[in-house]
Amino acid sequence: MDAVLVENLVKRYGDVVALDGISFSVAGGEIFGLLGPNGAGKTTTIKILTGLTRPTSGRALVAGFDVVKETREVKRRIGWISSEIIVDDELTALENLEIQARLHGVSNWRERALQLLRYFGLADAANRPVGKFSTGMRKRLEVAMALLHGPEILFMDEPTVGLDVGARLGFWEVVRQINREFGVAVLLTTHYMEEAEELCRRVAVINKGKIAAVGTPDELKAKYGVDVIELEVEKPVDVSRLTPFGEVAAQDGKVLVKTRRAEEVLADVVKAVDGVKSVKIKKSSLDTVFINLTGASIEGEQTDLRKIYMRVRRARR
Amino acid sequence: MIAQLYALYKREVLKLFRSRYMWLMIIAQPVMWIIFFGNSLAGLPSAFLTQFLGVGSYLSYMLPGMVSITVMTTGMFSSMSLVFDRRMGYLKRVLATPTPKAAVFLAKALGAATRGLLTVPVILAVGALLGVHYSINPASLLLWVAALVAAGVGFAGLFTALTVNTSDFHAPGVVNNFITMPLMFTSTALFPRQFFPEWLRAISAVNPLTYLTELGRDAVTYGTPPDATAFIYLAAFSAAATAAALVIVERLLTAD
Repeated sequence: MDAVLVENLVKRYGDVVALDGISFSVAGGEIFGLLGPNGAGKTTTIKILTGLTRPTSGRALVAGFDVVKETREVKRRIGWISSEIIVDDELTALENLEIQARLHGVSNWRERALQLLRYFGLADAANRPVGKFSTGMRKRLEVAMALLHGPEILFMDEPTVGLDVGARLGFWEVVRQINREFGVAVLLTTHYMEEAEELCRRVAVINKGKIAAVGTPDELKAKYGVDVIELEVEKPVDVSRLTPFGEVAAQDGKVLVKTRRAEEVLADVVKAVDGVKSVKIKKSSLDTVFINLTGASIEGEQTDLRKIYMRVRRARR
Repeated sequence: MIAQLYALYKREVLKLFRSRYMWLMIIAQPVMWIIFFGNSLAGLPSAFLTQFLGVGSYLSYMLPGMVSITVMTTGMFSSMSLVFDRRMGYLKRVLATPTPKAAVFLAKALGAATRGLLTVPVILAVGALLGVHYSINPASLLLWVAALVAAGVGFAGLFTALTVNTSDFHAPGVVNNFITMPLMFTSTALFPRQFFPEWLRAISAVNPLTYLTELGRDAVTYGTPPDATAFIYLAAFSAAATAAALVIVERLLTAD
């Protein structure tokens, strides 16, 4: 049975169409990634699947139960991890776990809670107020809270936002472990390509409320990936001489050429331009798939700005 | 439902008890009311006070009224706490579990009622320290305590229902003012009915705060037997407010 089955899901907020008829499925025990820029509909999808909001139309089954008609059965079987860390700072780790366990009607909660705290390396901090925890520790506590009742499916909404590199790598390992050891299916959303590539068996790229592509990272790279040739040039170039090789963008002494097989055309590209100072090839990656499918800019600076902007927005919320 | 209500109520109480400011408020607010407002009529002749208040000290007359006002206004913390939980995302955490919305609301209302009730012994103790002599009727006292619990939940329900869908921090304070101020001044919590013009008397006669206060006066000011009618009126008000809140919460409470 599929852990998640989504059929033609639509969600409108007034005039705004957040989800425009998406369909996908997550197999039992699979780690599945929903990849897309902010506002693509990732969080809306998670909110529908966790029963926090109702779809306008379409159907979604989680663990075989309908999210609209059998919401409570769905909620019994899922764990949810938010992008912002939501724990009670005034309470201790154990108290946070106790409340979460009782909300799920777990009776032998103390035993399970202590097990999970040990598993996540938080045993020493069990009786300390969570407000004093580092972000990484809080995240691990949140994961422990999501696992207390032995869910079949974990929903993680941008789970590594705000974590440092070490904590992020650690978190990936945790996700892989719980997937392997507890057999939990994971549906995570992210806009970090690297994360999707590291963790997910399959990925759906979502953009403006529509699924642009579904497949394994390798499949997507083969199908939608592009190589980017980046030339540093001395003087402005005649773009029309490069267009036979692919889509071209020129800016600030740099020329970017999107092409399918960078190595094969590289020599010709360089020959077509006078005064090349340096050449760089960015091979096809989920990054370029993402850019290709979502129409995001190929200029690195702009992507960085987007990330900063997104971070600022998140901090403000 | 019970397990989840217990969990969320425990959360409210733990957070409440760990806040130093909350304790400061619980202790400082009654002290200020009693010392500054409680003495505002102390210069009047005792005979006048006895004639109009039925007791020779305004402080002793006012204390049950103050208890009523406190229990009513602390109801606001229920709606504030809910707004806060929505803002912090905690409501999403709760509503992604099989927890009924009713449990979310009842935990808030009971938490606020608990907070209000904690003030009651403080008020009475400060009153005693300042020389208030209590005439206690045990049966009335029991009924009063029951009425305070009911009113605490009822008022919390009223406030929470009115701000069930907002994440605006200002909403609870504003809504609170529109309800608590008129209820306070149109009840007999602070002044006897004989002082009022006719129209104000008419309002005070249907104001639940009046009944809550008079139950308190029976219990600790006059030491008279309990007034069952007052209790029934108050219980009916609280039940209606809570029921209405449950319906509204079930319909309108959303995670964000």
